[in-house]
Amino acid sequence: MAIKLEKVVEKFYTSLEEGKIMGRKCPKCGNVEFPPVYACNKCGSYETEWYEISGKAKMHSIVLPAALSTKPEYKKMGKFAYGEVELEEGSRFNAVVRGISKKNRAELTAKLPLNIHAAIMDRDIGVKTVVFDLDEEYLK
Amino acid sequence: MKSFGKYARSVSIIGVGCTPFMYTVDNPETDGLTEGELFGYAALKAMEDAGVNPQDVDYYYHGCANPMGGQNYLTPNVHVTNWFGMKGKGSMHHSEACCTGYLALEIAANAVASGKYDCVLTGAVEFGDSTPHPDDSIETPKHPYKRDKMTMEKFLKTTSWLYERPYTRVLMAGQELIYDDAAEWYVRTRGITAEQMNDTLNAMCVNNRRNASVNPLALERTTYEELAAEKGMTLDEYMNSPYNPRMGDFLRAGGVELKCDGAAAAIVCATEKIPEIAKNLKHKPIEIVGIGSAACEASTPHFEVKATEEAVSQVYASTGLSGDDLDLFYANDFIITSHLVSAEIAGYLPYGEGWKYIIDGRTAWDGDKPINSNGGRTSFGHAHAASGLADIYEACKQMWNECGDHQVKKLPKTTMLRGYGGAQNIAAVIIRTMD
Repeated sequence: MAIKLEKVVEKFYTSLEEGKIMGRKCPKCGNVEFPPVYACNKCGSYETEWYEISGKAKMHSIVLPAALSTKPEYKKMGKFAYGEVELEEGSRFNAVVRGISKKNRAELTAKLPLNIHAAIMDRDIGVKTVVFDLDEEYLK
Repeated sequence: MKSFGKYARSVSIIGVGCTPFMYTVDNPETDGLTEGELFGYAALKAMEDAGVNPQDVDYYYHGCANPMGGQNYLTPNVHVTNWFGMKGKGSMHHSEACCTGYLALEIAANAVASGKYDCVLTGAVEFGDSTPHPDDSIETPKHPYKRDKMTMEKFLKTTSWLYERPYTRVLMAGQELIYDDAAEWYVRTRGITAEQMNDTLNAMCVNNRRNASVNPLALERTTYEELAAEKGMTLDEYMNSPYNPRMGDFLRAGGVELKCDGAAAAIVCATEKIPEIAKNLKHKPIEIVGIGSAACEASTPHFEVKATEEAVSQVYASTGLSGDDLDLFYANDFIITSHLVSAEIAGYLPYGEGWKYIIDGRTAWDGDKPINSNGGRTSFGHAHAASGLADIYEACKQMWNECGDHQVKKLPKTTMLRGYGGAQNIAAVIIRTMD
């Protein structure tokens, strides 16, 4: 491999249109970068390779949206929270997790980290995005 | 003398200047002020305070968070240069949003410590509450001095520019977590209740306002006790009432910055050159003993916490100091939770106990652990790029025992300033009065 001038962002979004959630894996240390970028932030390798993530993840913190932290276009997500998400492959980032509300917040907070899974959602800005949903075990 | 970082040279602050933080367009006396007038005032006050004149200053740095929106400029450093006697001298502009005024000290210190310059000015100016007239679009030709009020709606639209476009804005969570992530983290890791966090957030607002109430440069000087009395309420009732509505998961309106207009500046000089350059020196030099820096883009979980931990650990490693050595603390608290979490991470307040210090009023200007003695971003005001240098102004004045009615009880020798902003840059600055 060599360092390439590459349209990583465009490929990420076109992959979402095809139902695939793509990250980039470091060939040297195995770290997965999500969202995908050129280099490895763990070992410093110049290069990473495309890698389809499984979508399995854990949620480590729960913050509910409020007046300052929501937008009209978020309504379509129903009840949701923001929080720290850790992919099965190890990447950690801030994301939206659907299915969390004031009503079940305390119960779910006591069970952190929560098992969640990725979903692809239309953002109404010409692209799709990645959000997460609670696993079935919490929906009883 | 203590050399700065890994450089061989010691660097000191020898003078500071600051405008009042204000809503310029709301007052006929200040309506129409321009960026050259604000920056020039702060720069000349800093030179006067240092006992130098413009010919003694080799170079200047200029900070502004939003030069296009607030000033209609691409190169704002050039357009103020004729105002304070430094015409023709070199300068550069930098912009790190709300962290600009703290990193302004780092770039000045690096320039002097490296030996390239002996004496530099570092300043910042922001019109956070107004835009050049007419405010319809940035392309429209602008009036030379008239300005329009910056509505909160417009301001919140421009804050989206702070966040990474390819991924973070689309994933949504990064830009929304700025309001409550640190509060959630503190509640979960320290084991306090949401009610205790609510009380702590309110107490920080009350303490900041008490500090501002005795500071003539502060934007909002009416105490919450006075506001509550006007409504016939107790302080607790008022702080939990619709007058201080819940705006976030934890955050109330009083815990959000008061965006405004202002400028501040400092003169940074090679310590060994002070007798030669600052012949009319008025104060003991305040050495910049170390600065730690980190940046965590907003998609990073607990970005403020992680970047603060990194910057603080760098500055303690380079200086050999610890939280026990700090006499005074400033946190850029445009979201007021910053005030609590950064003071604990720095070890200025004990782990898990900081919230009690705040509720007990010990962090107000007249307490034993003062934080943001000028009133912080929620009461002193937030002229975004200029706020860090305004905190440096206040810190130096406290360390020189020049704060009069709001002089902290114990004369501070060592101070930390925790800069934060721009989704998200962090600086941990330690300054110390020379023996």
